[in-house]
Amino acid sequence: MESNAGTTETRSNVTVPDGGEVAAFESLQFTDEIHRLISAPATDNASSFTALLELPATQVVELLHSPESVKLIVASAPNVEDFKGSFHFPSNTGLIQKDARFSVFSGEGNNKNEKSNSPEMTSKNSSANLEKAVKSEPAETASSLPLVSDPTVENRNIKRKDREKKVKGSTKKSKTATNERLEDAEKLPYVHVRARRGQATDSHSLAERARREKINARMKLLQELVPGCNKISGTALVLDEIINHVQSLQRQVEFLSMRLATVNPRIDFNLDSLFTPESGSTMDGGNFPSLVTPLMWPDVQVNGYRQQFQHQWHFDTLKQPIWGREEVCNNYVTLENSLLSYDSSANSAATLHANQLKMEL
Amino acid sequence: MNNPHHLNPTSLKSRFTTRFLRALTKIRAQKPISSSSPTEIFRRYRRIKAAADKSMAYSVRSRRIWSRAMLWKLRSRSYRRQDPCSGRRSGKTNQAIMKKSSNENTTTRREDGVGFVEEADELRQLVPGGETMNLCNLLDETAHYIKCLTTQVQVMKKIADFYSF
Repeated sequence: MESNAGTTETRSNVTVPDGGEVAAFESLQFTDEIHRLISAPATDNASSFTALLELPATQVVELLHSPESVKLIVASAPNVEDFKGSFHFPSNTGLIQKDARFSVFSGEGNNKNEKSNSPEMTSKNSSANLEKAVKSEPAETASSLPLVSDPTVENRNIKRKDREKKVKGSTKKSKTATNERLEDAEKLPYVHVRARRGQATDSHSLAERARREKINARMKLLQELVPGCNKISGTALVLDEIINHVQSLQRQVEFLSMRLATVNPRIDFNLDSLFTPESGSTMDGGNFPSLVTPLMWPDVQVNGYRQQFQHQWHFDTLKQPIWGREEVCNNYVTLENSLLSYDSSANSAATLHANQLKMEL
Repeated sequence: MNNPHHLNPTSLKSRFTTRFLRALTKIRAQKPISSSSPTEIFRRYRRIKAAADKSMAYSVRSRRIWSRAMLWKLRSRSYRRQDPCSGRRSGKTNQAIMKKSSNENTTTRREDGVGFVEEADELRQLVPGGETMNLCNLLDETAHYIKCLTTQVQVMKKIADFYSF
């Protein structure tokens, strides 16, 4: 019934999306074909198919170009019913629901769903019974094997097993080792590494590979931490960048501490109360009042501050009704204002800055 | 009660800030700022820097290798400064221990199977306690160290801006 697929290979095999131009090329022909198909006589089978084609051609072209929609294999069948089997739509939810009607796809998709390894693909696959296009997606994108080159529908059943084997063999390391090729991995119960095709599977190289993967993962984390490291490729350069960053940070700490050593502290404020509800933690030296509001401590002990304040006017004036237990921002401001009314410029400045400091922190 | 500006009291930032400010006030209280001779300033700078490092290391406690190493370094330095005799005693034993552990790990040039040994060594010198780490741990510690350093710089910058206003 699907004997026309053979003719499709010549021009409609969109394999791995490494060739953007290939996709573009295909898309042109695809759109032409779609138009032709739309004008084809409608049959029973085509009722669902034209429903599929309700999608404007542009959308399908978009799907072609989207990175996940790799395997659009167009069968250039003049008969509409033949398309039922040979259209491989990308993992688009709108299409998927329509595709689910095709028993062919659903049968295929389930098998391939289990085989897909890369996480981003599984998330898409899991959305519905996906077409057989999906089955080669993750493996191929990972390893760029041209498995899609044989999309012939009549050979599908025969080739499926071969493809499965190839998929298994060529997938990169994954943590779902259930394959018979990993005899050695079972000796290391804590890590399951899928051996690559043609790679040694003895325990030494496996362990080393695991270590290397760990190191690479940590390097990726570091790349994210250090600004401007994402564009650099090559671990040595990245490490250089990291080293520079650490050095610059350390130098910044030194400069800042030098700055703090030279600055003249007009205000000295007791920030114990900022963060802890302790009371009465005395500090020697001129303790100016804690000019911060009790935003942090709902159960502040007012007496505690009395001990710390060495000047009368601090506490009495601060102990205004504004000094509530559950302060909010607006009260904060009013406290500020009340403090500003006093002559001590340092006082007000301190409040302002204490507020700022807290907010910024 | 809903305070949008509420600081998480258990975050690294707040822990560090508390400790550092406490140390700062202590340092300030010790000497009046009237004297602005370079030596005084330098001495105070050293003390402040040590206080900053110490507060950061204390905020991390002993959860990280680098914090433990830094704390140990600071402590040994202060011991040595306080009392040369006792410093020598304790320093010797401690140093012996440290040297032994570091010798075990670093006498052989670390070729971990990856190609960047020089950068790794340089990184080891930067990160406190890095000499005793293999590459894997070193990268881990570096990440955490960078995070803590950035917090430290942030807080100190804000404090410095506050004071120099």
